[in-house]
Amino acid sequence: MRAVLVKAIADLRRRRLQAAVIFLTALLAVATGTMALTLMSQTRDPYEQAFAAQKGAHLQVGYTVTDPKPLENTPQLIGAAVAGGPYLSASVQYEFGSQKVYMLTMGRDNPGGDIEQLRITSGRWPTNTSEVALTRSFAELNHISVGQQLKVVSVPAEPLLTVAAEVVDIDEGTADLSSQHAWVLSSAISALATKSDLFYWMTYRFAGDPTDAQLQAAVNEIRAALPPGTVGGSVNYLLIRSVFNITNQIITSVLIAFSSFAILATAAIVANLVTGIVISSYRDIGIMKAIGFSPSDVSAVLLLQVLIPTGVACVVGIPLGTLGSQPLLANSAQALGLAYQPTFSPWLDVAALVGALAVVALAASIPAVRAALLKPAVVIAKATAPVGRSGRVLRALASAMRLPRPVALGMGDALARPVRTILTILAIFVGVVTVMVAMGLPRSFTAINDSETNAGHVDVQITRSPALPDSAVMNILQAQPQTDYVVAEQGLNMIVPGIGDAVNARVFRGDATKLGYLVVAGRWFSSAGEAVAPRALMGSAHLKVGDRFTVSVSGKAVPLVLVGEVYDISNLGQTLFTDWSTVASVLPDFQPFNYRIKLTPGADVDAYVRNVAAAQPDLLEVRKNDTSLIGPVKIIDNVLFAIAAVIALIGIAGIFNTLLLNTRERVRDTATLKAVGMSPRQVMVMVAAAAGLLALIGGLIALPAGVVLNRFLLDLISGSAGNDTPPSTYGVFASWELIAIPVVTLLVAMAAALVPGRWAARTNVIEVLHAE
Amino acid sequence: MSPLVQLVDVTKVYQGGITGALNGVSVTVEKGEFTAIMGPSGSGKSTLLNMVAGLDRPTSGSVVVGGTDLANLNETGLARFRRDHVGFVFQFFYLLPNLTALENILIPAQLKGNAADERARELLDRLGIKDVADRFPARLSGGQQQRVAIARALINSPSLLLADEPTGALDTHSGEQVMELLAQLHQQGQTILLVTHDAKLATRHAARVISVMDGKVVDDARLETGEHAPSEVLRLRSEEAAR
Repeated sequence: MRAVLVKAIADLRRRRLQAAVIFLTALLAVATGTMALTLMSQTRDPYEQAFAAQKGAHLQVGYTVTDPKPLENTPQLIGAAVAGGPYLSASVQYEFGSQKVYMLTMGRDNPGGDIEQLRITSGRWPTNTSEVALTRSFAELNHISVGQQLKVVSVPAEPLLTVAAEVVDIDEGTADLSSQHAWVLSSAISALATKSDLFYWMTYRFAGDPTDAQLQAAVNEIRAALPPGTVGGSVNYLLIRSVFNITNQIITSVLIAFSSFAILATAAIVANLVTGIVISSYRDIGIMKAIGFSPSDVSAVLLLQVLIPTGVACVVGIPLGTLGSQPLLANSAQALGLAYQPTFSPWLDVAALVGALAVVALAASIPAVRAALLKPAVVIAKATAPVGRSGRVLRALASAMRLPRPVALGMGDALARPVRTILTILAIFVGVVTVMVAMGLPRSFTAINDSETNAGHVDVQITRSPALPDSAVMNILQAQPQTDYVVAEQGLNMIVPGIGDAVNARVFRGDATKLGYLVVAGRWFSSAGEAVAPRALMGSAHLKVGDRFTVSVSGKAVPLVLVGEVYDISNLGQTLFTDWSTVASVLPDFQPFNYRIKLTPGADVDAYVRNVAAAQPDLLEVRKNDTSLIGPVKIIDNVLFAIAAVIALIGIAGIFNTLLLNTRERVRDTATLKAVGMSPRQVMVMVAAAAGLLALIGGLIALPAGVVLNRFLLDLISGSAGNDTPPSTYGVFASWELIAIPVVTLLVAMAAALVPGRWAARTNVIEVLHAE
Repeated sequence: MSPLVQLVDVTKVYQGGITGALNGVSVTVEKGEFTAIMGPSGSGKSTLLNMVAGLDRPTSGSVVVGGTDLANLNETGLARFRRDHVGFVFQFFYLLPNLTALENILIPAQLKGNAADERARELLDRLGIKDVADRFPARLSGGQQQRVAIARALINSPSLLLADEPTGALDTHSGEQVMELLAQLHQQGQTILLVTHDAKLATRHAARVISVMDGKVVDDARLETGEHAPSEVLRLRSEEAAR
């Protein structure tokens, strides 16, 4: 065994560059894989920990009643172990700085209790009627701190409230993805809303972890037991958990997919390298056997040559991957108000180490076993394995095309060893596919974001205070010559058959086709009684495009026909979209709350915002339409970019490795060619031609695969947000890019060929031929 | 006759070498000569040939071939020089294993950008290996491989044919055939510079034998005239003739 180790270490010293290639590729693959494993093992944990620690509510229900007495029996009715509330609540509009925002504000006298504990992260619970507690997520997003004052603008008195506490509430999503709650003392809430806007909010916690169906059944039981229209809306913990986890879930899916790619590419490179070592070491292997190495010793020497650098790569890569996943875990822990603790799992690290070594050993085992079976007398005589003739047809073709001889020779070399060719193309393929996905997905995200934010279709958004009538807002807008069109909107809760929770509906007045929402199937609504919905809602309500169904709005039946499927991730696909005329007959006093305005071409948006805000500074919140990407999407884009860079590097290492092996194996041929008159430049052209051909083949095969994988991942991501992918977001690559991708691959490969090319060009003819 | 190769006071010291591989060698080879450079292993004869081929540069002294001072050429220039003016035949043939015999022969012409199929086939015919044109080197005998290598060396009609132990890897019969071939080429006007450690071969076919020992020319015999013929060379030649 000692002899095996001594020989393996000596060979490693001799093949330092090859060991470096194994180390680098294994390091990148192991770090990515460890990151994926760490995230995967931790994705659900932080939420579940926080949910348990803060006794999160499995179900929250809003009741439009004036007397809370009938609500007292609801916990027993649905078998809840603990209940919170009823809390008198209202949707209250706050103003701070130039912003105005609505928050569901509840009257609650303490943050503790047996359910939905609010963890104070800053300040203390409100002690008088002029104090308010906010979520930390909201405070951080809007740069509000304890002690700052907010003005309530939804009531004419416009009272000022001082922020007394920042809390973490496990029963709502983060502020960048969800609307937020606020809390005042129960004695303070009545003064913050008109009597008609007040309602009661209750929270329920069950003994186990109820399923979605069980929670829907519970809501249905409550609805059946109370007068019609009493249940205004409900939220269950599964939806909130999904909102919390969606970023990590997407990142984890992407990381798992691409770390598998990285490991595959590394395995290809390792197999290629060991095959190369065997091919170039025939004489060495023969001598080893001749002096007493057994076949298994020979295999062990070769395996150790890849396992040692891989082991070192694991020692560096596993901590790196674990460290790399920490910011994402910290982000998720921070959102949940958990104290972030670096997460290390020794078992997971051991699994990553064993996995990496096993994959590499497996990749190296076939050539290592082949080496063990070689007959000593034959290999000593041959010195190296005979070169294949696979490149002959290609060389002949290149000659027929009158390509320069160095190019033809290089092309022939590229295919001379079929296994090496395939393994190299595999590494290139993986690199190109990843880069395509890293290019494509962010573009699809941007297209989706543009649809969600109405980018290009809406320049200004206005939120109206209830104190200002809709007609006044429209008068102000119509008085502005720069107003091109206005689409007004109001949210509404509807009861949709088959769905326990009240469904949030977005009702539009004006031509909502102009807002640029992406329609997946069917068409946008165009008249009263028509609606569109995302896939999640369609699935929950068992609807398909063309179906007729009846919803209940404030206890009144409204017949609808689903004319299209829309893409909308804002509520994880659980929102219904319809026209104003659909609900006008059942809600004659229904008024829009939000106005989306497109300005005439060339209009000054800032000046428009100033002018409209000046018309009603207290009652209108006027802002430029914010079309920037939300934080989680930015994180996903960055992670994708980093992974693509890693795998592209592995792909380049694959090409480099193959050229290195080729040029070293062909050193005698190169010396001969130089002796018969091949110039250094021609030698470089020959090496570059081999690289170029492999890259071109890899790039061309990767093109359709990249497009398909892009579609697959986009579908996966859309699906996890409750949507089908809009067909228009698939076409992220321009025709010229589909041509440019293999061309750039070719150029990168040729650049990677520079170093081995230069080595080949500098071949010392005398030394090489003398050594023979 | 005009000089084709002129080595003037050429010295070559390899890195780490205490003594030089060549120590002040001066040799002139005329056009049309068949010159053999003879000497034991390590005497410097191959180094001398490499200098003439532009495969190696002298530590000092000058090498002029066909009026070109090789010191003035960079690597590309030397490659072009070899391609245009020199044909090189190696002891171990050094055919490219993945090319057929014909493809191997064509390589130097193709590197020049010339299509020389006709000349290649003519050479195959002339060297008696017409029927192996499409075979790969692994399927050729040693003698056939060396003939292919000679054809490759001749494809660009070089003014100088260099042969480094061309029979060293061949059996006696094949070796004889190769030497006969070189002699025929010489008779057709080809200048040949042959390196060998085999005195018999050197004296039987070459018109001039330069003996090298420890990096120095120790003898330069023009055998056609008997001028300066060293006794050892002449003894070997007469033994050969008596056989």
